[in-house]
Amino acid sequence: MATTTASVSISSSDLTPGTSLNINASTTCMKAGLTTGLEIIEMGKNTLTVAESASSGVSLKLATAAGADGASKVYLCNNATDDTFYIRLDLHDTIVGRLYAGDWLFLPWSQNDTANELVIQAFGGSCPYEYAIFKEGETVVAGS
Amino acid sequence: MATINASVSISSDIMNYPVRINKTMTMKKAGSCHGLEETTGLGYKKYTAVTQVTLLDVSAETAAVNKASKVYIRNTGSDKSQYFIITLADTTDDTEEVGRLYGGDWLLMPWEAASADHDIMVQPSTAEPMTLEYIAFIDPS
Repeated sequence: MATTTASVSISSSDLTPGTSLNINASTTCMKAGLTTGLEIIEMGKNTLTVAESASSGVSLKLATAAGADGASKVYLCNNATDDTFYIRLDLHDTIVGRLYAGDWLFLPWSQNDTANELVIQAFGGSCPYEYAIFKEGETVVAGS
Repeated sequence: MATINASVSISSDIMNYPVRINKTMTMKKAGSCHGLEETTGLGYKKYTAVTQVTLLDVSAETAAVNKASKVYIRNTGSDKSQYFIITLADTTDDTEEVGRLYGGDWLLMPWEAASADHDIMVQPSTAEPMTLEYIAFIDPS
């Protein structure tokens, strides 16, 4: 069984007066409802350029019926260096939020229906990005 | 201006060679080199019913619209069979499901917070007591 571990640390010494903020968490990413690890990883990097005309972005990953209601995890990072450049992430037709230069995200993705695709779009300027998607295994049907 | 740092470390042996991802970000205001300086504070909520409820309400954070706000949420449980469904409210098809946080799972994501369509809703998978840890970092710029 493969083991995928994701840890986060969030800290600030001056966000709240007189109190330091320290959040630390770690999880082993398992298949939905099970104690066996995720089996597929897709990762890569690319550069998003700003569309010259109205655009609805590009699909980072389409949702699939095979992945429905699973326990997939998504990591995405905007590697741009200009503070004004950002990548907007949508789930189908709903905006999740903006990743400004240097920002990253890590979230679960349940692909609850096929209209749940991950869509990314650059604003301000070209944004190099890197991503990784960790998924459950998929059944591959042999040809007859 | 506050300095908020967030680091992620992901390791996996799915491949025959190890995969390591390590990244640190400093949370900044939209299009700025200045750090975020507002927060909801770290909160915990216990749930005992299989009902979808609002965790973070956009109407309470109107300054956050279209900026660089971020949200951290963690299922504090350890049972990998119990989960929270995280959704973004969306008037066009009711809600857009983001994903499921099983026991111990966490997320850190940007939050558009542009309208009531972007409320963050949660629904436990069971009526057994389950607890969420959460905090939002708000961009009021």
